[in-house]
Amino acid sequence: MTSEKTPTYELPSPEETFVEIECCSRTKTGETACGDDFRSVRIADEGRHIAVLSDGLGSGIKASLLSNMTTTMALEFVRRNMEIVQSAEIIMDTLPVCEYRKISYATFTVFDLLPGGLTRVVEMDNPPFIHLRNGHDLKWPADILFSERWPDRKLAISKFRMVQGDRLIAFSDGVTQAGLGSDACKFGWRREGALAYIQKLVDADPLISARELSERVVAEACTKNPQHRCIDDISCLVIYLRKPRRLRLLTGPPFNQEDDRDFAETVLNFDGHTIICGGTTANLVARELGRSISTDLKLIKYCGGLPPPSKLPGVDLVTEGILTLTECVRRLESGEYRDAPLPVSNIITFLLESDVIEFIVGTKVNEAHQDPRLPVDLEIRRNIIKKMSGILEDKYRKKVMIQYF
Amino acid sequence: MGNGSKLKVEICLGTTCFILGASELQDLAQYLEPELLDRVDIIGRTCLGFCKDRKFDGAPFVRLDESIVIERATVARVTEKIKAMLKEKDAE
Ligand code: FES
Repeated sequence: MTSEKTPTYELPSPEETFVEIECCSRTKTGETACGDDFRSVRIADEGRHIAVLSDGLGSGIKASLLSNMTTTMALEFVRRNMEIVQSAEIIMDTLPVCEYRKISYATFTVFDLLPGGLTRVVEMDNPPFIHLRNGHDLKWPADILFSERWPDRKLAISKFRMVQGDRLIAFSDGVTQAGLGSDACKFGWRREGALAYIQKLVDADPLISARELSERVVAEACTKNPQHRCIDDISCLVIYLRKPRRLRLLTGPPFNQEDDRDFAETVLNFDGHTIICGGTTANLVARELGRSISTDLKLIKYCGGLPPPSKLPGVDLVTEGILTLTECVRRLESGEYRDAPLPVSNIITFLLESDVIEFIVGTKVNEAHQDPRLPVDLEIRRNIIKKMSGILEDKYRKKVMIQYF
Repeated sequence: MGNGSKLKVEICLGTTCFILGASELQDLAQYLEPELLDRVDIIGRTCLGFCKDRKFDGAPFVRLDESIVIERATVARVTEKIKAMLKEKDAE
């Protein structure tokens, strides 16, 4: 790469800690809206992360409204460092009152992570959170605060310091009360049951991502219920402080052929996963590095109308370019990627399991795409990648960088 | 018969070829008669580069034995060409 093309963005150093925040929620069977709500922000200039999980009273639209209002307000108040009892009072004053029960109610857990690992947790009536370090559930003393105007509500506030490798876990009572009344767990799964399950998962896979852990906990909670139904909204929020996982995705040949070598070498000596999307791109990397590509035609039946993935030694995944990426964007946008065609779900798994994603985009125009027989909506690579990075940043909280060649 | 003497059939699965018909060609194996199937080696390929070459008339492309390029390939045309080439081989 020539010097004027040196990337201007800043990469986090390998020692830096990445804060992965993921929440998995399942809606009570038969309801259209989830009564649990999750919201989080990354405040880059303060180096701060705030995440809130709230469970609204009851289920369905009303509960959803309560929990949504709660997370929105709680996030804003904490972000502005407002006094916490006063904030909780404002929330309770604002929530609409339930006609039958004459109360307005939504529980919440707020995780406030400051730079250097300093962490504050504010809880109101959610099951107590878990702070997991090396498989142990650390217990921190909490200050209990009461509101004079809402004497039956108490706030628990704990402060402690987190280190790389730590996890914070919070859930709605759909998790702790899963299976309630069944023979296997008369009093529900409870915090202890969920904790033991989490410890087992972490023990088996010490680097398990927040995303996977939250999904597994929710799925397991469901299995406790009769017919595996969601008898309540079930949510699990996980925060994982980890060494950033990196992914480099190459797509498109470089504009100048002289740059082919530098471009191809971006897959070498990289501390992370690499993907190539585009046959021509893969061909040029193979040529420059003296390796060969193989494609398994048997995979076609899983590809849902897309070209099958290929193999190239030293690269984690090779797929076709434009069509596959376009489908990835569509799936990431809608969030419905669980049953995606093989190459698409492969890419999405890599993307979502990564914290820092670098797109290396070659800008050479593909002459073949000028063929008048091709559909006009064959999008330009650069646009697809731009769109994809926007979605990954906004919706999936990834750190994304694009470098053009 | 060793793999070396099989007829190599490379189907391009690059974007252009794929859109313009290779998605059908990838099932070629299902259309070939068992005797033919035994004598060919069907391989999927990333863009073979012909789509960017004005010399050629149009995708999708299939290449036989690394030398014969079939343009605007269809299952019927590829099968026909495979038969012809095998006949030639037998005559040799
Ligand atoms: S896509 Fe088939 S030759 Fe280029």
